[in-house]
Amino acid sequence: MIGSGRFRRYATGYAFILPWILGLTFLVAGPFLAAGYFSLCEYPPLKDPMYIGGANYAELLGDPSFHRALGVTMLYAAAAIPLGVILAMTLAMLLNARIRGQSFYRVIFYLPHLVPTVVVAILWMWIFNAKAGLLNFVIGRLFAAGDWWTGLFFDVAALKVGKFVIHGGACWLLAAPALAAATWGPLARRLWPRENSRLRQLVCLAAIMAIVLAALPLLSAAAHTLRPEDVRKFRSPGWLTDGDPMPAGVGFAPSWALWSLIIMSMWSVGQMAVIYLAKLQDVPVELYEAAEIDGASWWRKTVSVTIPMISPVILFNVVMAIIGAFQVFAEPYIMTGGGPEDKTRFVAMFVYEQAFRYHRLGYASAVAAVLFVIIIALTLVAFRVSKKHVHYSGR
Amino acid sequence: MRGVHFILAAIVLVVVMVAWFEPRPDVAEYDPAVHAAFKDTWAKRVHITYWEKWGSFEAEAAQKMVDAFNASQDEVFCHYIRTSQVDRKAMLAIVGGQPPDVVGLWSDNVAPYAEADALMPLDDLMARAGLGDDHYIPNYLEMCRYDGRTYVLPTAPVSIALFYNLDHFRAKAAQLRAAGLDPNHPPRTIAELDRYADVLTVMAPDGTPDVMGFLPTEPGWYHVAWPYYFGGGLFDANGSPTPDLPANVRAFEWLKGYARRYGRDNLTRFRQGFGNFDSPQNAFIDGKVSMVLHGVFFPQFIDRHRPHLHYGVAPFPCAPGVRGPRSFLNEDNIGIPRGCKHPEAAWKFVLWTQTRGLEILNRLQGKHLPLARVPDSFRQGHPNRFLKVFEDLARSPEACVIPTSIVWREYSDEYKRGFDHIWHWQVPKSALDGLTGAERDQETRQLTREEIVRTLTDMRETIEGKLRRKLERTEQRKARAAQ
Repeated sequence: MIGSGRFRRYATGYAFILPWILGLTFLVAGPFLAAGYFSLCEYPPLKDPMYIGGANYAELLGDPSFHRALGVTMLYAAAAIPLGVILAMTLAMLLNARIRGQSFYRVIFYLPHLVPTVVVAILWMWIFNAKAGLLNFVIGRLFAAGDWWTGLFFDVAALKVGKFVIHGGACWLLAAPALAAATWGPLARRLWPRENSRLRQLVCLAAIMAIVLAALPLLSAAAHTLRPEDVRKFRSPGWLTDGDPMPAGVGFAPSWALWSLIIMSMWSVGQMAVIYLAKLQDVPVELYEAAEIDGASWWRKTVSVTIPMISPVILFNVVMAIIGAFQVFAEPYIMTGGGPEDKTRFVAMFVYEQAFRYHRLGYASAVAAVLFVIIIALTLVAFRVSKKHVHYSGR
Repeated sequence: MRGVHFILAAIVLVVVMVAWFEPRPDVAEYDPAVHAAFKDTWAKRVHITYWEKWGSFEAEAAQKMVDAFNASQDEVFCHYIRTSQVDRKAMLAIVGGQPPDVVGLWSDNVAPYAEADALMPLDDLMARAGLGDDHYIPNYLEMCRYDGRTYVLPTAPVSIALFYNLDHFRAKAAQLRAAGLDPNHPPRTIAELDRYADVLTVMAPDGTPDVMGFLPTEPGWYHVAWPYYFGGGLFDANGSPTPDLPANVRAFEWLKGYARRYGRDNLTRFRQGFGNFDSPQNAFIDGKVSMVLHGVFFPQFIDRHRPHLHYGVAPFPCAPGVRGPRSFLNEDNIGIPRGCKHPEAAWKFVLWTQTRGLEILNRLQGKHLPLARVPDSFRQGHPNRFLKVFEDLARSPEACVIPTSIVWREYSDEYKRGFDHIWHWQVPKSALDGLTGAERDQETRQLTREEIVRTLTDMRETIEGKLRRKLERTEQRKARAAQ
């Protein structure tokens, strides 16, 4: 017999989770099991499901449209997840800095996540417009400035047609390594005996600027010579309408259209950053103090203290991002309709089309089942890989 | 703890009460502000719902048709409900057992809806009402049928033709004459069309066009029509897919020629500067493209956004040796979903639309009639001044339609992907190394042709596979039902 006090405690507990249990049973588990059965059937709407065994799965194996959709989704996940994690962590570290107006910045970076998907999609369609878009306008201006600067050292017109012609002014590029040698090389101690002198700091700043300014034309010339097609496209990308791979010539690389969606997915990293931020603020200050006493640099503290301490949250975000990547639907549906040439047709879109455009509910269920297995497998891989790298400070 | 229980119970109670007492939407509810004219007969009428796709002035036209029906008798009241993505929503409603009484679909919905038993066959009802095949232009009725039975009836027919900007022709009159072309007449052959396009095209210094004489991807709605202008087709007489017919390959070579001549990327960038179809920034209305292939409805849209645009309409030219005039026909149609609440009243409305209703709708939408016999009054004062061109095209013995097929949706999607692939495909640079001038052109054409043939052959095999599988499953289902 359970005492009345215990009974009440149990009853209260179950009462609290009852709505969730009911929802799970009728809205998740029921349809989930039904979809499992339908995946073994031919099931047009308004007709009874007809059991056909594993025929839908056999068809999936040889369906090039499904393979394309799966490939697109995998590529998206492979690019968008690491980029998102890195960007969100960087953002979180910046937001964690003790500066004035910190709350304001946090709100600003979180706000994009609150904008409805359809609005974001339409907004980015305008940003990506090749003719009148904001992005191409900025890229055009940057290239104009870059061409002017590169033109002081190299013949840009020749570079554009794949020829490498150096102007006499290119010898000025040697000033950068000379300045660097004078700043950090063996001579530096003689020239600037006082480590923190104002003059030394100014020279350091000048050397960094010189290196950056010298690197720009060199990088530009190298890119023009080694990847002329990519540079040509970068000058005015077609974004959502361009199905060519980027980098050019790499058959399996994401298309420009897919890169557009990957870039767009960074729009909502603010939400991920807020989760990182919550964990960052939980990292004990003593660890940083101990690291500083040991003489650790900023980078060493990040690698040896910050990342291990927030690793459970990184794992959580990665798992959620994997699930999210396999559910991408609204953005490509609105922005590209899966085109050009199926280069942005994600698996979730494929499922929707099979069910509601081609009326193949059984086949769509089979795709959904395969998708489920893939997500589970990737999540398990993430957990397995993380075992060695995730640090739970509570244990 | 007791307080928490009380709050939870109160929330549950409020939710249940709201759900229970929330008044169900009822179309038959009388609204004196809207239905005053029908006050006396409101209660005794059967109220039916009609889901239709149109927006803007086309929706107003459909509403006027429905109003006229409601005023014409006192037994049925039709409620017009404007519904986006009507084909998908209607199917869900039919599956859910709450379909509308009448639904407006597109011609490519007929086969999948009929195959799913989602629509009532109308043949018996038509026979009883004396509505025979001779009432319609045969092609338009053909699109309403699947497997020998009629599932829908036409509402708004579409035929397509060449629209050309007379202002552009006049502005370039001297150049057109110098090229041996008549600035007062539209092109009569495909070769002439290409020459007109070349003269009318204006390129910006950055290599992108300012104006394109002709752009096959604008508006991009009729890609399936191109093979027909070259004497090809997408199905043979047995309903088997034939995307790789030699004539179809020729059509694709011609289309690809535009991407090659003007630069695929330049044209893609150029297209991104166009606005929506129903806007003043429409490429033809805005003067960015001088000639387009468009439908009978387009003049109404031009009049809305740029009423003083000088343009002409003519049959789209055919390839050499192909008989014309040709047009690719399509239609909107109307059907009665299976399981609807008032099938008799719905049929009464559908039958009425096939006479007086079609006249009201198509006059106000600026379209022609799908009927074999057109009342003279229909043409008098019709808003589309090019009505005759479209009527003649619709009646032309060379006019083409897509046969209703259970794999048409898959086919059209695969076709669009194939078109995109061919349009964007570029000959690998390594294949042209060391070649110049005519030799290079020759090799480019040859490799392009091979890629087109490969793409269209793949398309045929894919669609044949899908068709075979569907037919096998249908047979399997029949066999199991017979057991």
